[in-house]
Amino acid sequence: MTGPAYDAALHLLDRQVVDSEGRMVCKVDDLELTVGDGGELVPTGLLVGLPALLPRFGRRIGAELTRTHARIFEAQAHRTSPDVVDIDLVEEVDSEVRLSVPRAGLLRPRDDDPSGPERVRLGDLLGLPVTAAPGHGLHRGSRLLDVRLVAVPDGRRHVVDALVVGPGRPGALLGYDRRSEPGPWLVADLVRWLHRHARVVGVGPEVVIDREDRVVRVGPGASVRPLLG
Amino acid sequence: MKRYLNVLLGVLTAIGGFVDIGDLVTNAQVGARFGLSLVWVVVIGVIGICVFAEMSGRIAAVSHRATFDLVRERLGPRMGFVNLVGSMLVTLLTFIAEIGGVALALQLVTSVNHVLVVPFVAAAVWIVLWRAKFSSIENVLGLLGLTLIGFAVALWQLGPDWGELAASLGEKPAQESWATYAFFGVALFGAAMTPYEVFFFSSGGVEERWTRKDIGVMRANVFIGFPLGGLLSVAIAGCAAVVLMPQGIAVETLGQVALPVAVALGKVGLAIIVLGFFAATFGAACETGLSTGYSLAQYFGFQWGKYVRPDEAAGFHVILLVATVLAAGVLLTGVDPIMVTEISVVFSAVALPLTYFPILVVANDPDYLGEHRNGRVANLLGVGYLVVITLSAIAAIPLMIVTSMGQG
Repeated sequence: MTGPAYDAALHLLDRQVVDSEGRMVCKVDDLELTVGDGGELVPTGLLVGLPALLPRFGRRIGAELTRTHARIFEAQAHRTSPDVVDIDLVEEVDSEVRLSVPRAGLLRPRDDDPSGPERVRLGDLLGLPVTAAPGHGLHRGSRLLDVRLVAVPDGRRHVVDALVVGPGRPGALLGYDRRSEPGPWLVADLVRWLHRHARVVGVGPEVVIDREDRVVRVGPGASVRPLLG
Repeated sequence: MKRYLNVLLGVLTAIGGFVDIGDLVTNAQVGARFGLSLVWVVVIGVIGICVFAEMSGRIAAVSHRATFDLVRERLGPRMGFVNLVGSMLVTLLTFIAEIGGVALALQLVTSVNHVLVVPFVAAAVWIVLWRAKFSSIENVLGLLGLTLIGFAVALWQLGPDWGELAASLGEKPAQESWATYAFFGVALFGAAMTPYEVFFFSSGGVEERWTRKDIGVMRANVFIGFPLGGLLSVAIAGCAAVVLMPQGIAVETLGQVALPVAVALGKVGLAIIVLGFFAATFGAACETGLSTGYSLAQYFGFQWGKYVRPDEAAGFHVILLVATVLAAGVLLTGVDPIMVTEISVVFSAVALPLTYFPILVVANDPDYLGEHRNGRVANLLGVGYLVVITLSAIAAIPLMIVTSMGQG
């Protein structure tokens, strides 16, 4: 993958995936993150298909749609597991996601043994409530809005380096909250005002994503800086 | 030299391709009831479609992304889906109206009831979508559509009192209420700024593999072709205002749209205009049909487009077939295509903000467009039209109810 750092939900999710011959393959319906030995989150695959897309329609509607989908395809062994495109096959990410291989026979679910590394979906993490000690400047209603991916020095892999948190208000995907220059002024100013409480929290020992309790805990020593600026 | 010929061809097809069944019917209806007093709406609509098409064409040329890619990327899967359903319904409704329009045009020639013609028209549309090259669909039908210039010739031949006609520009006829005036204003706006035009335009840019170098040609097509197409719309309204309005004839059939041309130019003129009806509606039927496939494929990410072999975009072609069968099925119930047209232009106005807003946002995004992102003028117009489009979308359905589709 290219680019030193980018925000996964803003720059990767829902992008068009194109194969090595320029033909369209699918959309990035969700992103697979693998929990490393030190607890770090590493993007390892693009998740594809209705089992990946439907849960992103919101907690309640998404769960209902996923159940319905599983009921319709009851005979299929993999009816709830999405197809995976391994992240190593991704050559470049810009306005489309280019793969290094042709598309024929590419999509299949991951054949994991249960003792393997723990994997989570980005879509499952987005929207988790964030709790922090007062004095951090985090808004009380803060949720996880996005994760920032940074290339690790040794080469191709990326790792989740920071969390974008803020009150979950509309317009986070428009991108105005991340950059100060683009207009048009009326729309941009409104979105920036809505997201004035958004912050970037650096990933570290003080930041815990508790997937059991479905909450992100930000400890007193965590680094918090404004999103814009 | 070839470059100039390309620009000329693009402009001519943009003129011929601008008018569809919605423009034909709505402009004639408005002309017959309101004279030229709503021409200002056509002007606003044409500038609007220029702003919208130029932004989406620029995005397609620089980032190779078409409308529904951007809708999903910028609004997320859930809002994007709501958006997809709304836009698909309006596009399907327009598709039905266009196929019905082709059938009505053939009925004018053959006197065979349009319901009987519909299956053949639908089959022809599907075969063209399946087999014909993208550029031949656009060029052949666009150029044939130029025969609608007959309306301008007819208006000139009718020799109206130009001073009187000009005086009626700003004046609402006394017998019409403000509510119906506003309703037809919204309908005319929806007819000029039909959402599928932009789906088709931006997807067409990807089909024809536009690059940064093509932005100039694209702009010439938009800024010359669309306004001239808008002039044709005004000529249609003008003809109706001169011939039909004094007689108190309300436009309810496609034949009545052509009537002023028959009065002014006789049989030959009529024949040419009916050919224009056929080409314009058939071309628009292809464009709307393709647009249903474009929207769905762009949301879900599977291969679309006529630039690959049909078997490489099998899902896309299945959608085109299903949409065509569906449209034919609706028309076979005997529903009046003119009524479908009237409804489709109003809902076009309702659905417009759904796709306009994401395009405006991305047109400002340096990640997609780099140095080609919106400048000051584009943004001034862009935000201005965001307000206009939103207002007309909000007003459309209440006005439709209050005026009983413009009858009150």
